[in-house]
Amino acid sequence: MLSVTNLTKRLANGKTLLNGISFTVQKGEFVGILGPSGAGKSMTLRCMVGLTSVSEGDVMFTGENGKTYRTTAIKGRELRRARRNIGVIFQGCNLVKRLSVIENVMIGRLGRIHPLRSWLYGFTDREAAEAMEALDRVGMAEFASRMTGSLSGGEMQRVAIARAIFQRPLCFLADEPIASLDPKNSFAIMRLLRPLALERPIIGTFHQPEMTARYCTRVIAIRNGTLVYDGDPHLTREQLAEIYSQDDAFEIEQNIVPPALPPLTPALAVR
Amino acid sequence: MDWGDVNLRRYSKHAKPVLVFALLVLFAAWECEVSLADLANGLRKGLMMINLFFPPDWQAFARMVQPALATVAVAALATPIGAVCAVVFGLAGASNIAPRWLRFTTRSLIALERGIPEIVLLLILVAAFGMGAFAGVIALVIGSIGMLGKLVADAIEEIDARTVDSVECVGATRAQVIRYAVLPQVFPSLVANTMFRFEVNIRASVLLGAVGAGGIGYELTVAINQLEYRKATVAAIVSLALVFLAERGSDILRSRMVAAERLQ
Repeated sequence: MLSVTNLTKRLANGKTLLNGISFTVQKGEFVGILGPSGAGKSMTLRCMVGLTSVSEGDVMFTGENGKTYRTTAIKGRELRRARRNIGVIFQGCNLVKRLSVIENVMIGRLGRIHPLRSWLYGFTDREAAEAMEALDRVGMAEFASRMTGSLSGGEMQRVAIARAIFQRPLCFLADEPIASLDPKNSFAIMRLLRPLALERPIIGTFHQPEMTARYCTRVIAIRNGTLVYDGDPHLTREQLAEIYSQDDAFEIEQNIVPPALPPLTPALAVR
Repeated sequence: MDWGDVNLRRYSKHAKPVLVFALLVLFAAWECEVSLADLANGLRKGLMMINLFFPPDWQAFARMVQPALATVAVAALATPIGAVCAVVFGLAGASNIAPRWLRFTTRSLIALERGIPEIVLLLILVAAFGMGAFAGVIALVIGSIGMLGKLVADAIEEIDARTVDSVECVGATRAQVIRYAVLPQVFPSLVANTMFRFEVNIRASVLLGAVGAGGIGYELTVAINQLEYRKATVAAIVSLALVFLAERGSDILRSRMVAAERLQ
């Protein structure tokens, strides 16, 4: 279980980026965070893993054994211990491009192995086998020895998911996992994430309400750093317009799914 | 009609700077005692001396092999040691790894080192360690750190911060981040630069030999001082061959590396 209480982030110049965000997430939930660009979606996730310090508030993760990890207001060893329980799926560009795919997956468990061993020996055969299982789960087993930098965006995103699976965390955080992907890959990634949520909760930020409606069990919306919606993933057009309308009137498209384009005329198709 | 400011290339506009520059050159020539008569004289003498250098005394070749190997050995020892030290200096000099004061100190040290020519370094080291290859090795290690350390530090600073973040997010320690996120990213460029530095070190090793580090450079000066010019020719040809081979060798290796990277 995971609880975020009164998360607030203020800058030195007095600007408030996050304003008292609170929510709790249980096992089996797949939470999609929606909101306009710059609303604080990614900032919320960054605060949850301790990449950004918070001004106020708390983030707590509770494991099945009842152990609790806090990621706010801690540093060094304690923060590392908390972090190994959070599987973060960034956009694929955050993988180490000059390492092989399987090495990138195994990085997921760096927090659990002794630093000396990771320097001098590397990973064990058992860990490699487990990493292969994780890769197999996302359909990337045959790419294991490829250099990560040579993969496409969708492939990298799968590797990032495999890394998070291999990490065996208490929950997954996904920062815009489908933002730079084509529709086909987006659906594939969402289809991979959905069953993961049955084991451990997933919180992801998204820009596509139609995707969250289809795959998430719950949607949270953030606007100008404030939580404005928390509940059913099927939002009405009015609710979406409300979420996406910023201070300077922003027109949301009337139809979320655009109308089908007319078929190509034969003359055009030949060209 | 107003055409605005059109910049036409009228050479008369440049007359004044050209004149000033010409005067400066004339002054420099006067300061350096340039004289065409001396030039002609020297050329004549030099052409006469070429006769003294040829044909090369190939008998001396056998005695040049060992010094040549010594020259290569100095570079071959100094380059990898310098590269390993350069990684340490590079980490200490990168803003995304080291604290500010450490980065400032390291960068200043490196900049200072780069201001000292290897010959000056060697002359100081010879005073401390005595003549010989060892002083040469130390001089080249320090020189290699100066160049490679800066390149490594710059390469580390160019790493995508998000990659480092993402490895930190699994709970990795600083040392693990360096091992898995930083070093793999800078390793290929480090290898390429090290090979280039090996080539530079071979050349420097010949030169340092002449001022006290032994090897083929030493043989060259000895031969000239003893007026055995035809032996000196052999030493010169051998050192030329060394530099040429090192350059070609590192070039081929580097292009192979690039090709291998493309295949990946």
